[in-house]
Amino acid sequence: MSLVSTLIRVASEGGESAAQLPEYAPLLLILPLAGFLFTAAIGRRLGKLAHLVPLGSIVATWGIAMSLAIPALLGDLGEHGASSELFTWIASGSLTFNMGIHVDALTGALLLVVTTVGALVHLYSVGYMSHDPGYWRFFAYLNLFMFSMLLLVLANNLLVVFAAWELVGLSSYLLIGFWYTKREPGLAAKKAFITNRVGDVGFALGLMGLVAVFGTLDISTILAGVEAGQLAGPAATVIALLIFCGAVGKSAQFPLHVWLPDAMEGPTPVSALIHAATMVNAGVYLVARMSPLFAASHEAMLVVAAIGIFTAIFAASIAFTQTDIKRVLAFSTLSQLGYMFAALGVGAWVPAIFHLITHGFFKGLLFLGSGSVIHAVEGEQEMPKMGGLAKTIPITYATMLIGTVAIAGLPPLAGFWSKDEILGEAFKFGYAWVWLVGMVVAGATAFYMFRLMGLTFWGKSRVSESVHVHESPWTMTLPLILLAIPSIGIGALLGFPFADGILVHGLEPIFHPANVLLGHEHEAWTLFGIDGLLMLASVTVASIGTVIGVRLFRSDHGDRIRAITARLQPLYAGSKNRWFFDDLNDLIFVRLGTRLANAAWWFDRRVVDGAVNGVGALTSTGGRGLRQIQTGRVQNYAFGIALGLAAMAVAYLVLGS
Amino acid sequence: MSQIAGHLEPYLVLAGILFSIGAFGFLARRNAISMLMSIELMLNAVNLSAVALGAFIPALVGQGIAFALLIIAVAAAEATVGLAIVIAIYRNRKTPLVDEYDTMRQ
Amino acid sequence: MPLPDTLPLIGITWADALFMMLGGVTIAASFFVVLGRDIIRNGLMLILALGALAGIYVMLGAAILAGAQVLVYIGAISVLILFAIMLTQSKAAPAKLTFQSQALPAALIASLLAIIFAITLGTNDWKATVFADTPAPQGTTSTAAELFGPYLLAFEVVSVLILAAVIGGIYLATIPRAGQIGAEDDEEVR
Repeated sequence: MSLVSTLIRVASEGGESAAQLPEYAPLLLILPLAGFLFTAAIGRRLGKLAHLVPLGSIVATWGIAMSLAIPALLGDLGEHGASSELFTWIASGSLTFNMGIHVDALTGALLLVVTTVGALVHLYSVGYMSHDPGYWRFFAYLNLFMFSMLLLVLANNLLVVFAAWELVGLSSYLLIGFWYTKREPGLAAKKAFITNRVGDVGFALGLMGLVAVFGTLDISTILAGVEAGQLAGPAATVIALLIFCGAVGKSAQFPLHVWLPDAMEGPTPVSALIHAATMVNAGVYLVARMSPLFAASHEAMLVVAAIGIFTAIFAASIAFTQTDIKRVLAFSTLSQLGYMFAALGVGAWVPAIFHLITHGFFKGLLFLGSGSVIHAVEGEQEMPKMGGLAKTIPITYATMLIGTVAIAGLPPLAGFWSKDEILGEAFKFGYAWVWLVGMVVAGATAFYMFRLMGLTFWGKSRVSESVHVHESPWTMTLPLILLAIPSIGIGALLGFPFADGILVHGLEPIFHPANVLLGHEHEAWTLFGIDGLLMLASVTVASIGTVIGVRLFRSDHGDRIRAITARLQPLYAGSKNRWFFDDLNDLIFVRLGTRLANAAWWFDRRVVDGAVNGVGALTSTGGRGLRQIQTGRVQNYAFGIALGLAAMAVAYLVLGS
Repeated sequence: MSQIAGHLEPYLVLAGILFSIGAFGFLARRNAISMLMSIELMLNAVNLSAVALGAFIPALVGQGIAFALLIIAVAAAEATVGLAIVIAIYRNRKTPLVDEYDTMRQ
Repeated sequence: MPLPDTLPLIGITWADALFMMLGGVTIAASFFVVLGRDIIRNGLMLILALGALAGIYVMLGAAILAGAQVLVYIGAISVLILFAIMLTQSKAAPAKLTFQSQALPAALIASLLAIIFAITLGTNDWKATVFADTPAPQGTTSTAAELFGPYLLAFEVVSVLILAAVIGGIYLATIPRAGQIGAEDDEEVR
């Protein structure tokens, strides 16, 4: 522990209620990092046992995180949480960037999801990746990712957040392209990284703007300054939107959503961890953390809400027609993330974080379940080749059913609580259009998720003859069961009673400054008033979607489905092709970019190199020409002398003396 | 009384003509020794002009001849060395024609 | 009976006639030198030209220079030239080609030089300098006074120069012995 002690310098944060974190808090970062370094160095030699250290470090991290997150959520760490300064990272002139850890209820919420799902994914990977030759590498990358994500969530300085931002991007790249010997994973990893980078440009510009205004990137200083009104008007809008760019990239909102479906090339545990439960939530976390900044600008909030809800319906419409089981879940993730951003945009901060938590659990469950399904049918990912698996893989079926009901928003499972709060607050704050689109998406979500269930588990088996369908080992089914529990109960746990639950109490103080800027007040929840009506409406919509989905896909109604799709052929085609957005990107950026690059190359070759070569050629030709004078003959040289003499004499005569 | 011989200009005209002839010969002849002979002509033209000027300008009495004597001495030295070089090259190239000394040609 | 003042029948003074004759010989001989075909004839014509020039020197009152001209130029240099011609006779020299390819440009340049001289002579105001009416006799005394006066250093240096030239000429013209550069058996020599 002496190492930990030497790392901590006691420095109290400004503010009346900042408590001091326990001394072992940095272990949250050190353990995963140590796991990564250890496994990267020695993992290859450990063979099948390579998972022990990483798994152990993550479980330990989970324990420490719970010991901090639960008090934070319950408010025991103080209203504004606790922090500890670790060290000064950069001290350059008037700019100083410190590295410190800050834990409050928001952090606690993220820690809950990140470490729990992370630990379960590690356990799951023991079974799922057991046959893979890169076993040790996988766990090393997983630990690196956990370290980066925890750093992102815990940091109290935006520069460290940015560094962690890039680190999670790197880990995501490494993990998406894990099977690098094949072509598609490499391309997908590159696409993910590049798309993220596009968003990061905006993020970095936003950070520069913040430094210009506040002179520091310390989060509490900035937020205090925004509350005090130091940043307002167009400047606030610009900076908020720039920072939102980063969130758009990392959380795959339109138009930077293109990388997430392709990221499914990575192993399923990666999809579950990174692209469902943790990394894609980083954007939501960022906006939530910087809520006063966004609240200071009405336009920025509007943009956030618009992009969020648009992504939600955009992605949902594509999920209708996808046949790859992981792709359906990927688009579903995009859609749910859109929900979260829409919630943030209308000022429903707590519901957004609530949905983040519930979604993390049930989406993680769904992804891991899909991995189990894929494992059961020995690698097949296309749903048309599945079917009737309910009896042969019962545990997977049961847990996935739980996850599906949760995501559909049917009470009393987790999804209902958070989704209903989002829609309710959207309507109450006056954003009827968000509410309306959100309702449509809710219905759509229920529909396509039950479509997934139907195609995969119900009806006749369309599995090919050679495949021996078998249930997954306990290392894979145990996490499924463990994740089903919060999918059922965490909604009620954190959200009941409505507008008065644990989460609301914990997070309210954090979002209070933003609410002040927005002019929102805490209202009481009325069951027999507007809130009850809205709840009834959302449940109805979800039920309708469920019923339609179940009836269409419960057994093989291939003809009916084909009839429907034939009538809606253009929509069907557009949806199947992801509304041709990838093709648009390809046309504009790839093809046009290639043309521009070729043009630039031509210019460089012809004009620039031509000029340089031309100088050389000129010198060479000139030399060759001048060489003619060197005839080697004395008489020619003598003639030259006489000529010069005559010239001088003439010059003397003409010009006088 | 003498219209021509008693004035300076005719001597200088003669010198000029001699110099021009020598210059032409120097530039136009093929044989190296012919070129040297033309050089001697040019030097003599200079001598003539020096002596003429010395004769007609009282301030330069005696200087013209001294100058011309030195030029003769230098001409002798130069002819010696020049002819020695021509003979040495002749041994190498077996020809006295300057046209054919072209190994230094670029 | 004394000579009449002017030539009979032509009416020019003796000095003029002498000058014209000597000058004409000089010019004619030098034309032969540069235009002639046979090199030995050219050498002999050179001797004639130099001799005529010596006569003109006498007319200018520089008798000692005329002596030096005859002794050195004709007696030494011309003989040296004739020796060199003898040593460099090449049977293969085509007799027809005495001029080079640049003969025409050479003629042009020479003409240009002549024109420049003419212009200079014509436009110069010789009367600005004090002239004597006739060429003053430049006796040996005045020459000696100049040579051993202002021109003393030049005199001594020129004697050293002649010495160096002679030594160098001897060395250059020596037939290399076997083993030295340029000898008969030297392979690098073409």
